[in-house]
Amino acid sequence: MKAPTLCLSILALLAVATLSAQPSFLAPAPSGAVVEQADLRRAAYEARIAEVLAWRASLAKPGELLGDMAIIAAKLARHEDADLCSRSVIELMKEPGSGPFWMFPAVNVAFLGRGQLTPAAQQAIRDAWRKGMQIRGDTENHWAMYYTSLYLMSQLYPDEPGASWYTGKSSAENLAEARDYLIHWMDLATTVGQGEFNPTHYIGEYAIPMLYLAVWAQDPAMRIRGQMKLDWLLADLAENTLNGVLHGANARTDDTSVIERWNALASFFSWIAFGNTPPPAAYGGWGTYFATAAQGYQVPEVIYRIAVDRDGDYLQRDLKRTRRRWRNSDVLMAPIYKQNYTRRDYAVGSYQGGMADPIQTHVWDVTWAMPDPRGVHNTMFSMHPVSSGYDMQTYFTELPDQMTKGVTKEGKASYDSPDKFLGGSRFEQVFQDLDTVIALYDIPAGTRFPHVNGFFSKDLVNLTVDPSGWIFAQGGRAYLAYRPLAGFELKSIARIQSSWTGERADTGDKILYSPHLKNGTIVQAASMDEFKDFAAFQAAIRALPLEFKLEPVPTVRFTTLRGKAVVCTYGVAPVVNGQPVDFTKWKLFEGPYLNAEKGSRKLTLTHGRLERVLDFNTLTITDRVHPN
Amino acid sequence: MTRIKILLGLLLPALAGAAAPKHDLYVVAAINNGFVVGSKMVTLSGLFQRGADDTYSHFGLNFPYLTSLAVDPRDPKVLYAASINGVLCTTDGGQTWRIGTGWDMTEPKDVVLDPNAPDHIYLALPDGLAVSADRGRTWPRRENGLPERGKYTQAVRVDRTRAGRVFAACESGIYLTEDGAGYWRRVFASTATVTDLRQSPHDPGLWLATTQSDGALVSRDGGLTWKKFAGVLSAEAHYNVCFDATNPRRFAIGGWTYGVLVTEDGGETWTARNAGLPAEHCVFRIGLDPDSGRLYAAVYKDALFASDDFGRTWRKEGLEGSVVYNFIFVPKTAN
Repeated sequence: MKAPTLCLSILALLAVATLSAQPSFLAPAPSGAVVEQADLRRAAYEARIAEVLAWRASLAKPGELLGDMAIIAAKLARHEDADLCSRSVIELMKEPGSGPFWMFPAVNVAFLGRGQLTPAAQQAIRDAWRKGMQIRGDTENHWAMYYTSLYLMSQLYPDEPGASWYTGKSSAENLAEARDYLIHWMDLATTVGQGEFNPTHYIGEYAIPMLYLAVWAQDPAMRIRGQMKLDWLLADLAENTLNGVLHGANARTDDTSVIERWNALASFFSWIAFGNTPPPAAYGGWGTYFATAAQGYQVPEVIYRIAVDRDGDYLQRDLKRTRRRWRNSDVLMAPIYKQNYTRRDYAVGSYQGGMADPIQTHVWDVTWAMPDPRGVHNTMFSMHPVSSGYDMQTYFTELPDQMTKGVTKEGKASYDSPDKFLGGSRFEQVFQDLDTVIALYDIPAGTRFPHVNGFFSKDLVNLTVDPSGWIFAQGGRAYLAYRPLAGFELKSIARIQSSWTGERADTGDKILYSPHLKNGTIVQAASMDEFKDFAAFQAAIRALPLEFKLEPVPTVRFTTLRGKAVVCTYGVAPVVNGQPVDFTKWKLFEGPYLNAEKGSRKLTLTHGRLERVLDFNTLTITDRVHPN
Repeated sequence: MTRIKILLGLLLPALAGAAAPKHDLYVVAAINNGFVVGSKMVTLSGLFQRGADDTYSHFGLNFPYLTSLAVDPRDPKVLYAASINGVLCTTDGGQTWRIGTGWDMTEPKDVVLDPNAPDHIYLALPDGLAVSADRGRTWPRRENGLPERGKYTQAVRVDRTRAGRVFAACESGIYLTEDGAGYWRRVFASTATVTDLRQSPHDPGLWLATTQSDGALVSRDGGLTWKKFAGVLSAEAHYNVCFDATNPRRFAIGGWTYGVLVTEDGGETWTARNAGLPAEHCVFRIGLDPDSGRLYAAVYKDALFASDDFGRTWRKEGLEGSVVYNFIFVPKTAN
């Protein structure tokens, strides 16, 4: 199977990274204070860029050629050692890579190297795009990288015949195909929703290509498209973060980031764009490739403020979409209704269940705020672990049997593990109202892994299994109540630590293992500030009206802490205060910060008096400052 | 004259004896343990050709995501390969390639020439079918009659007796066109993907198919009606099927769970022939040499195995660590 995640070379790099040269990684967490002055914000942004480039450039070994394209890119961005870079490029291009993860670094070096690399080095890059058939891949992030790279290289070398490109197509043909795809993809994202939405890592695979378009595309239309889509991605990130940490549902994440929510490439983007969380080790690996071109991008103030300057709780609802379903579905891409309720002390996020992606999706969680999120497993959720050839065939063009095992060797080590915490299920339905989540499970008999896993972090305190059936705990300044609807065992687990190696370790986390096909979870969160003490919170939860039954299908009647009367029945639209929830009325974005109509191709970003409109119909960006 | 050569090439296997092979064997395979998009390719993948000493030589692209190959019978240097990038076309035997399709077609699973109209090339796509009528320059979709959903297409086969009569093995069943993909109609309804289709080299009215959900199928009326083989289990998927061109009563089926199944009485009884294959006989593809009747079984990421006694004994033949996607036997008369 072709679905990749971060490439192995990045892992190797992380392993040897010189941590001492990464000041922001080791420094105390940022204060979160809002930087009011634009010039100071810009200066801080540029300082962060410089920090990344300095660290990466410092990894060069004296007297040796540079064996890493990222080091070359960093040095070129710093305008240093051009001769060494040239010689290194010539050597590296003798064996070109094999797909989009090689292509966009090569584009990065090609564009940064203009005026710096020797003609021979530039020709070596050019020849590499003739010699090796590049793999286009099978995911949207692959294609964003692939077609952006092909677009820019075809632009850099126009008017050349098909024989000079691995595609066999001329520069003009390549450029046209790449442009058509990129516009098609942007159309999808801006009308029916982002595909690989809010990814913890794959954000780099989108943000970096969009930056390159914004900075290097000659065609003004494509240039502004790149800028607007990068704005769009960062605004979507900003709105879904809690002190810079991406939380809630992800189309795709991994075994590490789903637990230690901060430890993700997304945190690099929060750090570099907003400065409100520490960067991950090695700047997330791919961070260098953003930093090398980031001077050419200005983080819009409205997006910055959405990330760092919040004065109250908010609810944001988005429309997204699944990965392409080749089989087993009435639709090619199913809609995803995603929501995010964010407060100062915690956030609750979800989509309505099912699978945005067959392997790496994360459907819901409560994530609590931490002054320093590094190393903290600041999340709580449940899920049905799925390992299924049927589900894999829905999304992949493969035969049914090899994938469930094979994928575990391809960066998804936990896929076939019954105690995993990564993934979604066709047999899960999730409802969220503000800080209440009700997840129901109706798992057919005979399903591999016929049980539900709940995640209980090492960082919870006052974990209490209450005779009432509720489990109470405190995470940071959040009070949490978790109600399993079927019998369970709460036990220690040697959890999978790495999606690549499958290495396990006992980190102190616990798994709630519930081996019942008809099942469910209710979680209610609240802030410490709302109650005199933890006991008062527990008493309030115990007093909430709750009825449920599991046969013939799970059904819950619950009055939430916020006074909503909710009825959830598996397979039926949820009912809130007597009204069925109608997901079809959801907009592309709806909330205090991001708003867009479905099908509109137009996103309005708002913060206080600030407004920015990204209009893909007119290819215009309009900034306004509204009067008080 | 060319057409006569082609037809002779296809029919001659029935008369084959121990003489020199009349076919070339191309194997579409990936040898890429641990490879994912972005990592370095340290092994050779793509197209292999069997040599006289039963060794396999790689040629053309080193590309791990090829799934099928079609060879123009008029010129063996004209090749079409189904790949993750779309269909790849070469006119120089694989020295240089052009990606024939654009961004709107991805991951074709099969590519097949019409032997009676070799400018017409059929492409099985995960979201339907495309047909090139200009030797691979353009690939318009030809899906009239296919359902909007359920048209995932795993394989395409052309009836060698009539140009433009083509079967498609889809998620929702077997579809037939009799006018070169002008219109498709369903001739068998399945609940999961039909994985392969084959026409008998002995009797053009006899067709076999394998499925994920409905076991193995036979049609004795040129593909108009299909019924299940009673002796073939249907709980798990079967991946592909072969006729033995040297013996009209021999068929073989390959698959992950059941391994190699054979019949030597025209499908009346079936026998598992896995002794000698690795313990986990996860057979990804089988092939049957039309000249010798040699049976090939590609065991997933293990090796290619061969049997000269129709599966009673097996020997490892090579391509260790490979995933074999297709065996393509091409009449040497075309060379």
